[in-house]
Amino acid sequence: MNTVAATVAQASPIEATCFHCSEPLAPHAPRVAIDGIERGFCCDGCAAAAQWIRDARLFDYYRLRSAHAGRVEPAGEALACWDREDILAAHARNVPGGREMVLLTDGMRCAACAWLIDRALMREPGVIEVSANAVTGRIRIAWDPARTPLSRPLRRLMSLGYRPWLATGAERERARITERNRALLRLGIAGLGAVQAMMFTEALYLDTNATMSIPMRDFLRWIAFLISSPVVFYSGWPFIAGALRDLRERRLGADTLVATSTLLAYGSSLFETLTGGPHVWYDAAVMFVFLLLTARMLEQRARSAASARVDALARARPAFAVRERADGSREAIPLEALEAGDVACIAAGDAVPADGTLLADEAWFEESLLTGESRPIHKRAGDPVFAGTACREAPARMRVAATGPATRLSQLAALVERAQAHRPTIARTADRVAMGFVAALLVVAAIVYVVWRMHAPDRALDVTLALLVISCPCALSLAIPAALTAANGSLARMGVLPVGADALERLACVTDVVFDKTGTLGDATPSLADVATFDDMDHDAALRIAAALERDSRHPLAAMFAPFAHESVRATDVRSIAGQGVRGTIDGREWRLGHARFSANATDDGALWLGDGTRACARFEVREAPRVDAAQTLASLRALGLSLHLCSGDGEAAVARFASTLDLHDAHARQTPEDKLARVRSLQAEGRIVAMVGDGLNDAPVLAGADVSIAVGDGAALAQRAADLVLATPALHRIPDAIALARRTRSIVRQNLAWAVGWNLLALPIAAMGLVTPWIAALGMALSSLTVTLNALRLARVRDGVAA
Amino acid sequence: MSVLLLLVPLALVLLIAAIWAFAWAVKRGQFEDLDTPALSILVDDDEPPPQPPRDEGDDA
Repeated sequence: MNTVAATVAQASPIEATCFHCSEPLAPHAPRVAIDGIERGFCCDGCAAAAQWIRDARLFDYYRLRSAHAGRVEPAGEALACWDREDILAAHARNVPGGREMVLLTDGMRCAACAWLIDRALMREPGVIEVSANAVTGRIRIAWDPARTPLSRPLRRLMSLGYRPWLATGAERERARITERNRALLRLGIAGLGAVQAMMFTEALYLDTNATMSIPMRDFLRWIAFLISSPVVFYSGWPFIAGALRDLRERRLGADTLVATSTLLAYGSSLFETLTGGPHVWYDAAVMFVFLLLTARMLEQRARSAASARVDALARARPAFAVRERADGSREAIPLEALEAGDVACIAAGDAVPADGTLLADEAWFEESLLTGESRPIHKRAGDPVFAGTACREAPARMRVAATGPATRLSQLAALVERAQAHRPTIARTADRVAMGFVAALLVVAAIVYVVWRMHAPDRALDVTLALLVISCPCALSLAIPAALTAANGSLARMGVLPVGADALERLACVTDVVFDKTGTLGDATPSLADVATFDDMDHDAALRIAAALERDSRHPLAAMFAPFAHESVRATDVRSIAGQGVRGTIDGREWRLGHARFSANATDDGALWLGDGTRACARFEVREAPRVDAAQTLASLRALGLSLHLCSGDGEAAVARFASTLDLHDAHARQTPEDKLARVRSLQAEGRIVAMVGDGLNDAPVLAGADVSIAVGDGAALAQRAADLVLATPALHRIPDAIALARRTRSIVRQNLAWAVGWNLLALPIAAMGLVTPWIAALGMALSSLTVTLNALRLARVRDGVAA
Repeated sequence: MSVLLLLVPLALVLLIAAIWAFAWAVKRGQFEDLDTPALSILVDDDEPPPQPPRDEGDDA
């Protein structure tokens, strides 16, 4: 570890992170001269990407970007699947000169990425058109199949660090765009109409001495009517529809109030116009609609920016499944190509691609997506397994029975979608408050109308209208969601994806942070420091057996052994025993890989042992250095007043080394998931609110048990699924940033609520006394909503990725 | 005041024209991505890329 630090320091006194993706640099990192300065890179992939960008004269990317790129992963063979006719037939459409397809990518972090993708892909031969959208993470690419297969531009995309995913829900995306376009059009018409209607009614207002001829007055009134009608009924339709829905469900919401006051102003103006009455209020109606739409649009913009990426990632599904051929060999095929009757293989930690029956003797599946139960369920051969559930502990084989929309998952997704139309819990609290408020307000308005009717009948409607408009609880309803959405957007830009509902609220209250060492505080790549063999065991054979046992595992250790895998050595009945190791059978002999007590019945010394349960065959010394930013992260967390804990499944020696390097006092070694969960529970019993940071497969239950859980990006997919927040980049210092942001969000929500309630309490009596005209009321109300929204947007400002 | 009989319809025609233009821009996706195009004007991409892209890469 010390030597690592020394090498880095020697090689580059200033930069300790990759120039391309800002990951910590390893010793002997590749270096490339970019723009005359030699830069360090974390891996060959990043170096190659930067080199290509330099050679293609797209170097401006590095100047323009506001967020670091993602780490470049090797492309692999999976891209070949993109050329399959069945995939293209399902997802591409024909355009003049070629085909067009929409892809999702996860690495697009800022507008500069979109710019780079546009430029880079356009230079690939055969590519006709590319448009990348950084907000939605989508790339639309049109290419000529006669000149290039799709996989070629995609290989370029991947070599720059952007992994292509199959975009699902094309209709949904189209529906979203249509919906947004319609909202824009509504706002545009409301804006243009409001200006014109104001112009004509202003002329009527200015006629204070009643010198205007009656026909001219009526002419202007009818013109104002003509203009305000589309504004009220087309632009204002969302409010009217909302009010109708509220009415049908027999509840009162903000929409009821908006629609009531708009229609009241519009209807009474029409009545006055028809009967030649003294006053019209067309301007109040249109201004109200316009200003409210503006506030709503701003809120939606904040929200869609935040949710677009999380959404996109959530919708990116594995495009490929692993099918077993009749001869037992495996092939990766597109999900669409999987048919009922096929045999599919599922690695431990991966999602099941389709509904079917289990072929393996026994397996564990986590069905939380379907049932909400996070404990894995034990299944035997012949039991049904469902798409979207995750295979745990051991790899499994299954016979496919139903795919695609026929799966239970798809039916569930439809349900979830319907549920998502409803607001999350905290937002609903605000709605409930607003509802009582509206009811009280309507009563007050009725009383005010009656009172004014008795004293000054000609002003009764005016005052009531002003009262209704000024006290609209929009600001109240906006106060929480606006702040939450802005904060979520900031989080996403920082590379922290809020996955769970109201994670932010709980994050703000956190008092303790528990770390799981493997891969979170350590740099996720353990390396083999030393291999010792015993008896007649061959050095290479030991590595091959270890590689075979770890083959289907997502544990970071698996990657360490991967290079030693050999086709001739195959393990069956592989099971991972959480907190202990893996067990499997090779050529009829049982092997165990894990800590000494598990594998060789010896005393634990922190190393990884290979054995048969009683006798040791090999000992692997594994080293893992702390991440470059670990010490700094812990210091910032302490500065936020949090107490830190370390619960690791690793051996005493390794944990002690970590704890002393990082100055952690509360460190526990050799913890099973149950121990970890118990630790979290005991902290919670003391009234502490615990945030758990983890990444391993065995962390999933602990993550689900903690108050807030944070999964580190490159960890197992399962851990991410159980987490509230996912660090998209493995940059630990985002955690204190996120906690600081959560605390700021909490204080801004409080400010907003205080403001909204205060405003209404202040404005109500003034309006009831008749001191406000309806259009001033509309302006004041919208200003109140805008204040709340703008206050919330302060959360969206992140100083170069750091929020503190 | 009779000039108003001309000016008011004229204002209405202009209003309709403005709404039509706005609707056209919305439909053409002019408001789809408000960030990326802002960057492209900062960079000249007139110079032809030297080697890495192959011969016909810049025809579109």
